[in-house]
Amino acid sequence: MLENYFPVLIFILVGAVVGALPLILGWVVSPSRPDSEKLSPYECGFEAFEDARMKFDVRYYLIAILFILFDLEIAFLFPWATIFKEIVSTDTIKWFGFAEMMVFIAILVVGFVYAWVKGALDWE
Amino acid sequence: MLTLSHYLILAAILFAIGVVGIFLNRKNLIVLLMSIELMLLAVNTNFIAFSRFMNDVDGQVFVFFILVVAAAEAAIGLAVLVVLFRNLKTIHVDDLDRLNG
Amino acid sequence: MDFKSVVFYLFSAVLVFASLRVITARNPVRAVLYLVLAFVSGGGIWMLLEAEFLAITLVLVYVGAVMVLFLFVVMLLDINLDRLREGFWSYLPLGATVGALMALEMGVVIGGSYFDLFENRVPALVTDSNVKEIGRLIYTDYVYPFEVASVILLVGIVAAIALTGRQRRQTKAMDPAQQVLVKASDRVRLVSMPSEKLEDSVPQAGE
Repeated sequence: MLENYFPVLIFILVGAVVGALPLILGWVVSPSRPDSEKLSPYECGFEAFEDARMKFDVRYYLIAILFILFDLEIAFLFPWATIFKEIVSTDTIKWFGFAEMMVFIAILVVGFVYAWVKGALDWE
Repeated sequence: MLTLSHYLILAAILFAIGVVGIFLNRKNLIVLLMSIELMLLAVNTNFIAFSRFMNDVDGQVFVFFILVVAAAEAAIGLAVLVVLFRNLKTIHVDDLDRLNG
Repeated sequence: MDFKSVVFYLFSAVLVFASLRVITARNPVRAVLYLVLAFVSGGGIWMLLEAEFLAITLVLVYVGAVMVLFLFVVMLLDINLDRLREGFWSYLPLGATVGALMALEMGVVIGGSYFDLFENRVPALVTDSNVKEIGRLIYTDYVYPFEVASVILLVGIVAAIALTGRQRRQTKAMDPAQQVLVKASDRVRLVSMPSEKLEDSVPQAGE
């Protein structure tokens, strides 16, 4: 079972090496003779106007939060989809297996409608 | 050969690191939340290890629900944090003493 | 030592290192990035335990979403780093002692004889996909927790919007759809009325 994932592991390792190698190579090979002028912050030829770190708008945060919550909803849909055939083929829980997911989605649609009505999805 | 104890000890170390993180960063609310996430990861690892070695998938279902609740908790916790920062301009734990009469 | 053990120790080493850096990093942005690394290696460990679905979910939901959320929040707030780290080193002895004690206690319990019951048990050969096994349980035995989970998610959505989304519209934006829909009759009103003599109503401009 786990052997099937061996290519994935190789892929991860190769990806990590390919990602890290240019950085390490650049760090090793390139000449490094820093002076104060080279290390000073540079902004289009001027002295730096402001701090490089700037505050994000709170709206990014709201989008990210909604993304998490709907991401989890999809995570629930996925195992359901794989066994859906199995569920509907058994007599006892035939429609139940379908209805339970519809109830789940309906509850989350309430949240979606709330987000929409409140304007949380508008960017302006 | 990997045994159950391997995974349990790894999870124990991870949990202890989470606890130490709460001790060390007791002023920084964000790192406190991140330490909690580490502890949850440790607990979930325990769940999965047991589920694997006892041949019982129920443990994995539990982990799934824990993931859901923890994600919702992180989302709401961070929302509270954002509102707190907006109103008080600080997330320093010592400044949050409004209820301290 | 077989290959699986090598992978286990590799992932464990990265996991422990990353989580140590999470709690000691000076800059919260770095702490978040190390937490990402910790979650990814945690996902690797779960993969070794043949919990593929959860490993993928961990990477998708936690690395992909929750950590991005943490990163946003860290970037959202400009924080006085030095003040947040005050007392960091003074708590280290106490914290390290408690942590070591805790790990030791758990080690004693876990390393003890109780779990020998499971040590020699060979995990059953997995015949079906992990996703299907989990699905079979969630949608039959755990239906009510499953529905409650959706309510929890709903509460999360409503709470997040109610807490953070209360800023009023500050910008004046146009709505193109409404602009296009405007008819001439909405803007200009033609009124029919009897014509009037100029002298009666308005005095002549030249006088």
